[in-house]
Amino acid sequence: MSLLEVTKVTKKFSGLVAVNEFSMTVEAGQIVGVIGPNGAGKTTLFNCIAGAFPPTSGSIIFNGQEVAGKKPYEICQFGITRTFQVVKPFASKSVLYNTMVGAFAQTQHLHEAEHIAIEVLQFLGLDHKKDIVSKSLTLPERKRLELARALATKPKLLLLDEVMAGLRPVEVTEMLPIIRKINETGVTIVIVEHIMQAIMNLSEKIYVVNFGKKIAEGDPDTVVADEEVIKAYLGDEYVVTQH
Amino acid sequence: MKQLLDQKPIVLLLSALLLGGLFILPLVITSPALMQIIILIVLYAYLTSTWNFVGGFAGVLPLGHSAFIGIGAYTSTVLMQTFGLSPWFGMIIGGLLAAMVGAAIGLPTLKLRGAYFALATIAIGEGMRVLFENVKQVGPFKINGPSGISLKLVESSFMDFQFDSKAPYYYIILIMLLLVLLLTYFMMNSKVGYYLAAGGEEPEAAEALGIKVARYKLIAMVISCFLAALGGTFYAQLMLYFYPKSILGLDLSFEIAFIALIGGRGTILGPVLGALLLRPVSELTRIYLGASLPGLHLIIFGLVLIMVMRYYPAGIVEPIRNLINKYIIEPFNKEKKSAEGSEADKAD
Ligand SMILES: Nc1ncnc2c1ncn2[C@@H]1O[C@H](COP(=O)(O)OP(=O)(O)OP(=O)(O)O)[C@@H](O)[C@H]1O
Ligand SMILES: [Mg+2]
Repeated sequence: MSLLEVTKVTKKFSGLVAVNEFSMTVEAGQIVGVIGPNGAGKTTLFNCIAGAFPPTSGSIIFNGQEVAGKKPYEICQFGITRTFQVVKPFASKSVLYNTMVGAFAQTQHLHEAEHIAIEVLQFLGLDHKKDIVSKSLTLPERKRLELARALATKPKLLLLDEVMAGLRPVEVTEMLPIIRKINETGVTIVIVEHIMQAIMNLSEKIYVVNFGKKIAEGDPDTVVADEEVIKAYLGDEYVVTQH
Repeated sequence: MKQLLDQKPIVLLLSALLLGGLFILPLVITSPALMQIIILIVLYAYLTSTWNFVGGFAGVLPLGHSAFIGIGAYTSTVLMQTFGLSPWFGMIIGGLLAAMVGAAIGLPTLKLRGAYFALATIAIGEGMRVLFENVKQVGPFKINGPSGISLKLVESSFMDFQFDSKAPYYYIILIMLLLVLLLTYFMMNSKVGYYLAAGGEEPEAAEALGIKVARYKLIAMVISCFLAALGGTFYAQLMLYFYPKSILGLDLSFEIAFIALIGGRGTILGPVLGALLLRPVSELTRIYLGASLPGLHLIIFGLVLIMVMRYYPAGIVEPIRNLINKYIIEPFNKEKKSAEGSEADKAD
């Protein structure tokens, strides 16, 4: 049984079909990439899986259980945690406080939550910022805080929505081993990213979306050689973001 | 508890002195009129602290809290007048009733954002006042419409919650305030507090981290309404007379919100500092200008709010905390460090 089975998920916004009969399977332990041009429907797909809104139709089975249409907090309790592309820190609170909110998914006790949070922050190299109010962080740091908070809930499946956007190439190179290390601790990851270098490097399998539809899937090398994929991306922002 | 005592010794010492001072205050102040003003400061600090559970932590602005204070006052009073039940029991019953009403109101309204929640609570608070003004009697209970209720006078006794002197009232409300501040402290340092703050600030992110935001807001609302109603009973016993406008109107709801915003919502000491600053203003305008310019105190509050928000958007608790840090805690730490330093020198 796969960890996540998305079958023919469709999401319509008053006429606009943002996700169109999209299917994918994620096996436990994998890192799976989802790519596609701006507005392709990647974030909408994450929103459906994470319960931000219900899919218009289709099924999402996680760990053998139907989760389509469940509330975000229920989905998190099942073991799926997502990060937000447009970061949403608890702005007036410190980095540690933010991360502890995530950690409370695992414990009732303040001290344990603090302990878990500090460990996560150390793991992500953010512990020296723990007392900083999160609204004074730089964007890359906020992205990392998104990751810290999500990780502190101890998810089985982590949905990462452009956590590397805005990072300098050096910083991207630093993030790659971190994400791989998270994966090695037993967390399955689905990652949306525009930075090809990162996606190619990390993913075992890649799904390509355009206009809400899946146009290709497979291992990284097959996918980038795919004609339709090249067509979808020709002259598009990939060239720009590759530095 | 350990955490609470885990403060710097100077902070503990000062707190102890302050507490001691508060407890001997009635021995020093002999004027009942002055005592009454002080009691009202403590009462408003208490009421605002109960408001704080929702208004300070759940990310919404309740503007109808007088509804719950009124429920408390009316419940304990009619039970006492009709059945001779001790106001202490009536207080608990009023609290439970207010908690239930609060839950019923909170369920639909807490989902509303920003101004919508504020407006809904104004409507409910005012609706409650109009309702009570139009009811003379409910079953055996005399409500008396707009003219309100005068409490039967009895001999000074604890069980009857009536006293000849002001001191017992002062001690009762002081202890109620300290307990509520303690509860606030424990809540802020618990999972519930973290979840409430998270849900209040970024509900979407909070839900994604497994928090059923609506449930935590409802918990805060129920606690807040229960405690606010206890304050209502206290008000009734202190004044021995109240009517819908005095205890259910927007005036009271707004004054509480002003105290919270100016003092610093979502902090432990904000409501206390706000009450210390605004209550005297409110008393003075009422004494000297109440007849000619009623409502003037609200205008003054508005101006103070504008000033405070301009320079200290988090409330006056912010500069005061900085002052305490700068003039009390830091110098003390320095002294301690230099003392340690000289000891280290000797060891060399
Ligand atoms: N809540 C919403 N209401 C209406 N339309 C929406 C909503 N969310 C997304 N859309 C639309 O759905 C389409 C897909 O958007 P989505 O954010 O999923 O794209 P994306 O692949 O994540 O793009 P990007 O790479 O820019 O992040 C877009 O046309 C977008 O405008
Ligand atoms: Mg997106």
